[in-house]
Amino acid sequence: MAALLDVKGVSLSFGGLKAVADFSLSLAEGSLTGLIGPNGAGKTTLFNLLTGVYQPDVGEILLGGQRLNGKRPYQIAAAGAARTFQNIRLFGDLTVLDNVRVACHLRATRGMWAAVLRTAGYRNEEAAIALRAMRLLELFGLAAAAGKQAKSLPYGQQRRLEIARALATEPRLLLLDEPAAGMNPQEKGKLRELIARVRDEFKVTILLIEHDMSLVMQVCERIAVVDHGVKIAEGTPGEIQKDAKVIAAYLGTAESGAAAE
Amino acid sequence: MVTTPQAVVRSLLPLAVAVGVAVGLELLLGLLGFYAQKILFDIGVNIILAVSLNMVNGFTGQFSIGHAGFMALGAYGSIVVTYYGGYALFGDVMMHSTVTGYALYFVSILVGGVVAAGAGLLVGLPSLRLRGDYLAIVTLGFGEIIRVVLQVSQPVLEPSEMAAVPWYEQPWHLGRSLGFVHSGSYNTLGWTWTAVAVTLLVAYRLRESTHGRAFLSIRENEIAAESIGVNTTRYKVNAFVLAAFFAGVAGSLFGHQLGAGTASRPEEFNFMKSFEVIIMVVLGGMGSISGAAVAAVALTLLTEALRSFQDYRMISYSLLLVIVMILRPQGLFGTHEIWHLLARFRRKGTR
Repeated sequence: MAALLDVKGVSLSFGGLKAVADFSLSLAEGSLTGLIGPNGAGKTTLFNLLTGVYQPDVGEILLGGQRLNGKRPYQIAAAGAARTFQNIRLFGDLTVLDNVRVACHLRATRGMWAAVLRTAGYRNEEAAIALRAMRLLELFGLAAAAGKQAKSLPYGQQRRLEIARALATEPRLLLLDEPAAGMNPQEKGKLRELIARVRDEFKVTILLIEHDMSLVMQVCERIAVVDHGVKIAEGTPGEIQKDAKVIAAYLGTAESGAAAE
Repeated sequence: MVTTPQAVVRSLLPLAVAVGVAVGLELLLGLLGFYAQKILFDIGVNIILAVSLNMVNGFTGQFSIGHAGFMALGAYGSIVVTYYGGYALFGDVMMHSTVTGYALYFVSILVGGVVAAGAGLLVGLPSLRLRGDYLAIVTLGFGEIIRVVLQVSQPVLEPSEMAAVPWYEQPWHLGRSLGFVHSGSYNTLGWTWTAVAVTLLVAYRLRESTHGRAFLSIRENEIAAESIGVNTTRYKVNAFVLAAFFAGVAGSLFGHQLGAGTASRPEEFNFMKSFEVIIMVVLGGMGSISGAAVAAVALTLLTEALRSFQDYRMISYSLLLVIVMILRPQGLFGTHEIWHLLARFRRKGTR
């Protein structure tokens, strides 16, 4: 299968700190990949590089063959990459429905003047957007909360709403930044089903940052491990669990453990 | 896309109703005294100013504090059209209560709006690329620059002097700090409230559209807005230019109001005027169109009630603002709208 996302030798430094060093990753179309690593390993920084929040110092990022270097976040969203945030960034004062509807804007074709004149074409499009937004909310079990302010939702629902909002931009690549953070085991179970379902129904490629290992191991087909901005391993969940470098990164080696004592 | 007659009707019906009301007001003119007319005029202009500023400060969450500057550009731009343009057209500078005269006034309102919008684009493009308080600083400076520039313009040309000055230099003769005294008091309540209706309609339709929600998303969370594909700079500039346009229209109306020796003085468009509009927006609730409109009505009436204490007006405004910020920091309406509350009320009623 052709690669949808191709990250080639990307590096980024903040002053003297190398946040990401010579990082390469290739995601096959329709794959579900986990990105794990200890705190501060550079996972979110990598997401920020992929979505144009930061620009790489060196290296190249390709999405479906299109170069993303130098593009601003909204251009990358238009190119087909959507994301959620580790620290939830919803539009708190807007309703749940509006949070999703505003994201449909990216694929809308009618502009400001059509909205002001309320042309027939504009009204049709608005109706279609409202319908699509409601369908997404139903899929995510949020339909009953459609009229509520987003900030009034419980934490788990806010995380789900962020995924729904990202999907409303009709992405080809979905980047999920710790979607299970703060969820209880039941919610995590539902989330696991949801992620798999989203991948199949929306035909998106998913890259998932997650600290909950059981979730990652169960849902992801492949896993990439980062530590100190460097990719130290990549493979199937089974391979990763046995990888000596990964175990060392998470648990420390016998030597470094002895040195710490 | 086939445009059916019904679609056209649905698109324009609210406007037609509003113009009907405005014309009704116009016909009532005879019954209203000059005082009542003046208050209704002030209310209308303030609604336009508050609702348009709300598009920037309320919708996109930026902080513009130079609205009076755009109003001044609109006022002077439109007066130039009716005064110097009128001279070119009629050969005198009197007011012409003819179809041509009012057509000229209509054009002048649009010119006032466009001049202000153009300035909005010039000011907005560089300053809206930045996040934070830069816009506040730039717009504050802009408003003051406009006022000072108007003060150092040339005296207004008398008809006898027109021939000596080439047409392209005439618009610079704006009457210095004395103000642009002219006789073109074209504006009436019909014009004023039609403009109010257009402003409210545009604001309402934008607010309730996918495009308008993109404005709101910038206010709510700029990083998330970018992540779902909102070109935040472009949208901020759009909102800013649109707001400047309506401020310009308000200025055009203001510049042609009925009054002894109809004049626009630079002093009318000082920082205090900008501040007044900000108070209306904050008081009404940042982001609420109905809130801005209601606050504009209330504050205009309050100003009238306190006319005898005029010198202390800003003190009472400031006090009012402090009290509201303590008791209801989100403003009267918060981000809600009257029509949202009505819809909720109706749903409850049918249950």
